[in-house]
Amino acid sequence: MADYWSSVILPMLEGAQMTLLLFFIAIIVSVPLGFLLTLAVNSKIKLFSWLATIYITIMRGTPLLLQLLIICFGLPMIPGIGEYLTIDRFAAACLGFILNYAAYFAEIFRGGLLSIDKGQYEAAKVLGLTKSQTTRKIILPQMFRVALPSVANESITLIKDTALLYAVAVPELLHFAETAVNRDFSIVPYFIAGAIYLIMTIILTIFFKWLERRFKYE
Amino acid sequence: MALIEVQNLKKSFGDNEVLKNITFTVEKNDVIAIIGPSGSGKSTMLRSLIHLEEINGGTVKIAGEAFVEQGVYKRPDVIKKATAKMGMVFQQFNLFPHLTVKDNLELAPKMAGKKADIAAMTSDLLQKVGLSAKEKAYPKSLSGGQQQRVAIARALMMNPEILLFDEPTSALDPELTGEVLKVMKDLAEEHMTMIVVTHEMGFARSVANKVVFMDGGEIVEAGTPDELFGNPQHERTKAFLAKNLK
Repeated sequence: MADYWSSVILPMLEGAQMTLLLFFIAIIVSVPLGFLLTLAVNSKIKLFSWLATIYITIMRGTPLLLQLLIICFGLPMIPGIGEYLTIDRFAAACLGFILNYAAYFAEIFRGGLLSIDKGQYEAAKVLGLTKSQTTRKIILPQMFRVALPSVANESITLIKDTALLYAVAVPELLHFAETAVNRDFSIVPYFIAGAIYLIMTIILTIFFKWLERRFKYE
Repeated sequence: MALIEVQNLKKSFGDNEVLKNITFTVEKNDVIAIIGPSGSGKSTMLRSLIHLEEINGGTVKIAGEAFVEQGVYKRPDVIKKATAKMGMVFQQFNLFPHLTVKDNLELAPKMAGKKADIAAMTSDLLQKVGLSAKEKAYPKSLSGGQQQRVAIARALMMNPEILLFDEPTSALDPELTGEVLKVMKDLAEEHMTMIVVTHEMGFARSVANKVVFMDGGEIVEAGTPDELFGNPQHERTKAFLAKNLK
């Protein structure tokens, strides 16, 4: 039993650390980046709005796996500049997740903005609030509240998507499970991996449910 | 000097002319009820006074100061200074759902950097509208009538000289209109200058000192409640009143 712990479970838990590290880096950077993209889409400057829309269309419209492959293996193959585009595999994967998830978060926040009644802007205006006061005090808090369930959903997807690291050979949870399965010729490690993913997503779900209750405004 | 002077106000949405040459004045302490069928332009007219709609022609002067003259708007700071003299109460209340009642009242004066004792004003005004106990409640937990009373208190926090009401009771269940009308009546008795777009004929008749009947984007007829309700001059006014006074 102690053997099984050190040869199978411990490496998988170490792999899960990689999963969590990627998750936190991706979420911490892609949420604000997604928000900036939302602002760009809604910008009065046509060029910004146009570029942001194209960006979101491409990132949402192509597989994340393909994007990861391009960033990890594709860029270094470009003649001439490829050698400068070779970065650490894990860093490259983080970059891929951030760029992809920012596009999804941008769409979620855009939906949140659209849901805000025009009466809110009008009430703020007749009370003499400036545009920036209205945005900070009235619009953004409501936008984040509306977006919360979708952000929760996307975050759970992100936890599971970290398994794509397997495809770019960054050792994470699934990688160690796969190694153990092949070595021991047993499917048990798959189920242990599943259980670890499940524990992570359940904790995340509980956290977001708490956030939703905390900001219920009732 | 009139508190509000509107001259030849015109407003179109595309080809649709919704306000045709509206001219009227509001004196200090006036309580003006604007009545008329749906689509007559009453709300659009009211919203134009506080720059929620851009007009296409005409002049609007607030306390002698025009913020739009012959259809041309002044600089933003001039507009803001003029419209800051008015408060507005909306049909749908438009309270900020993420803020408590107290914070709904206090946000604007705090943002404006008001020096006055904001907390004391809040408690006075909540008492005035009968909602002292609801200071920490969120709008969602209040009835429509309570929300509208909070909205009135919120508008009063900015010390407006004029209060505009855009169908303040139209979104309320009939049994809740009374509590809102009562607050408005109290304000009228304290000589607040008010313009009220309403379908409440009883309120127009008993509280307003002047009633304006609008139809098809024009002021058809205006006068004291006794004149307008007792002895309407125009066929359109008569037809409207026949349908709405039961």
